[in-house]
Amino acid sequence: MTVDILPALPEELRMVAEATGRSADKEFDRARVRAFADGGDGPGESYLRAGAELGWFGFLAGTEHGGGSASGNGFTDAAVVAAERGARLQPGPYTGHSVVVRTLSRAGARADVLPKLTEGECWATWLGHGGGITATTSGRGLRLDGDVTAVAHAADCAWFLVTAAGPAGPVQALIPADAPGVTVRALSGVDLTRRWHAVTLSGVEAGADSVLPATRERLAEQHAVADLLTAADAAGAMHADFTLVVEHAKSRIAFGRPIGSFQAVKHLLADTSLWLEMSKGMVAAAAVALGDGSPDAYSLAAAAASFTGERGTEVADNCFQVFGGMGFTWEHDQHFYLRRLTAAAVEYGTPEAHRARLWDLAAAGEAEEN
Amino acid sequence: MTDLNAYRARVGEWLAANTEPRAEARRGDPLGLGREFTPDVLAAERALQRRLHEAGYAGITVPEEYGGQGLTPAHQQVFGEEARPYVLPDFGLMGHVCFDVCIPTMLAHASPEFLARRIPAILSGDDLYAEYFSEPDAGSDLAGVRTRAVRRDDGTWLLSGSKTWTSGGHYADYGMCLARTDWDQPKHRGLTWFAVPATAPGVTVRRIKQITGDADFCEEFFDDVVLTDDDVIGTVGEGWKVTQTMLFYERGGGTSGSVRSRDESGTAGRGRSPVAPDLVRVAAEAGRDADPAVRDVIARAHVDDLARAALGARLGELIAADPAKAAGYASYGKLAGGHFDPVRARAAMRAGGASAIAWEATAADGAVGGEDAQPPAAEVASAQLLNSRFLSIAGGTNEVQRNAIGERVLGLPREPAFDTRKPFNEVLKDARTWNGQVG
Repeated sequence: MTVDILPALPEELRMVAEATGRSADKEFDRARVRAFADGGDGPGESYLRAGAELGWFGFLAGTEHGGGSASGNGFTDAAVVAAERGARLQPGPYTGHSVVVRTLSRAGARADVLPKLTEGECWATWLGHGGGITATTSGRGLRLDGDVTAVAHAADCAWFLVTAAGPAGPVQALIPADAPGVTVRALSGVDLTRRWHAVTLSGVEAGADSVLPATRERLAEQHAVADLLTAADAAGAMHADFTLVVEHAKSRIAFGRPIGSFQAVKHLLADTSLWLEMSKGMVAAAAVALGDGSPDAYSLAAAAASFTGERGTEVADNCFQVFGGMGFTWEHDQHFYLRRLTAAAVEYGTPEAHRARLWDLAAAGEAEEN
Repeated sequence: MTDLNAYRARVGEWLAANTEPRAEARRGDPLGLGREFTPDVLAAERALQRRLHEAGYAGITVPEEYGGQGLTPAHQQVFGEEARPYVLPDFGLMGHVCFDVCIPTMLAHASPEFLARRIPAILSGDDLYAEYFSEPDAGSDLAGVRTRAVRRDDGTWLLSGSKTWTSGGHYADYGMCLARTDWDQPKHRGLTWFAVPATAPGVTVRRIKQITGDADFCEEFFDDVVLTDDDVIGTVGEGWKVTQTMLFYERGGGTSGSVRSRDESGTAGRGRSPVAPDLVRVAAEAGRDADPAVRDVIARAHVDDLARAALGARLGELIAADPAKAAGYASYGKLAGGHFDPVRARAAMRAGGASAIAWEATAADGAVGGEDAQPPAAEVASAQLLNSRFLSIAGGTNEVQRNAIGERVLGLPREPAFDTRKPFNEVLKDARTWNGQVG
């Protein structure tokens, strides 16, 4: 089963999607996901290596940096992988990692770090969303202070890409997770399919070689990558949850017939599948636009995140309703989808925040045209 | 490809030389409601259609022997793209019914003789076809029609009954009419389609005044209208098959990307994406466009517009990948319209606040400036609100689309039906005395 973000995947990408599913089922199957949710271990090194072999981490990097696309559009590739991962409730900061890979590749920076990220030697993530970090100038580099909360898998990361408010606007730096002054604190979280952390930076020194250009365009692209992959992961989770609930509606008998034959249930599921189809359509539209470099690509990505944020939780709610009491049991997988979709809806911004960015992007576009 | 490029160039040249550039959208609704088809207006539209036909741009995918061009859907799409900036013949909603629903349905089911006789006159704009379909007592339950056609000893048919909600029935030349020809058969059998001349003796057409004050639809009464076998579309008694084809086209299944964003300039992949300009105008005229709450309402509608456009593209791909499920997929586009049009119309009213419910009377109401004057955004928003449940009801309600999606796409079982096996004349009798008992 693949999530079919695009109904007709190019052959190379279909193979990536199927191999991603097989790899996830082998390296971190549902039993491992459940054990992880119960506090068990996350995936080991072989998991990252297996992902890297499928190209997971290189789709958004140029070939000169060890990256490469399967279909010709790395954004579609990454979205397809994110969707398969979401459907299988896979752990790991794939979204944040992809933002870092894209940024380093585009900046042509940190040739010492980028190959480690594309080859799956370690995770990295993006601390670019929360806005809680400030920067002061320190020699030729920066000194960073502040907190970011609800960072997925920060403790698994070797590198952080930090956006901070500097004296003259936003600045960015790539810092090692073990740099002096970095504290990563485990949090409890609603989404048990991932681990959540708070990251505190106090007087962290980022040398000149760590500082990256923080142009508006670069920051906007980072948001767009995060939006796209968050939406894709959510679409995958919606797809998997919805697939389960349709099977349930066909097999569960009440009042002498399958409950899916009752229009009250059937119509709820039809609406739910409309949200799912639209979500997939949005993810595909955003991925294609990003790959084409369309002027409206960032807007489409923000819109995709807004739409899947709102509809994703609604899909989870509707599935819950049809599962009935079973949805309240730990034993059933429904709550894992609810948890993941609840987190996805706000992880890199609420739907309202994504919509506020739509206005900013439209204004920036107008300014550029004039 | 070269062929298509050459075609594109030829089309572009012809359109530039022979048609007018399109002005801003006319007053009223994007559905095309509210336009008055006076004899002069209609004559002008027919003349334009005739020019199009004579130049070889009507019926692009219709076989040549029926007066068309015998070209591919790709040619049709090229023409559509090139024609976007120009004024093409516009027969309102009925034009869509006639050219996008009736013609393909006829091509799929009618006899070669029927097609050779009738289609050329449609393409040239001489004969416009409406649908005589819904009835006062048969709406969502389409197969429950009670209009009857009885075959007489001389082989002719006698049509009696009534139809309603006929788009543009008052200026159609014919109606494609569904009638029951055998009452001893179950509901879905014993149905037959006829081409009924709107001016035939015994046909009465009356306009229906809508909540907007417009009258875009009609009801028809048939008092022993005489028809012949030449008027039959498809096979006698197998009208339900024809109906299914018709519904497919009616729900937009014939076009890829059947759902278009309301604001075409904001569709995916087409340059910058201004946030819902029509809603911004409503808010701006009310002085509310800087209010963050209003801006979120507008942006949300814009996101939904983008998602509808993306859905349209996806449905085109899904249908191409699995044509057997085309009818089910087409229902997604219809349901999206049925759901989001009212949501969007309410968003516009909220964006305008009190200014959206009352406005200064202006030229647009008919006095000065005529059709060129832009009406207040609030007036447009109010008209759209009143029309916003159009797609959720017309041409198959949201509930009908949900059944189609649930059963044809998701594979959920049907509800038990009481009327599919017994003769239709018993169905009505039993329903009147139904006591809730099944079987």
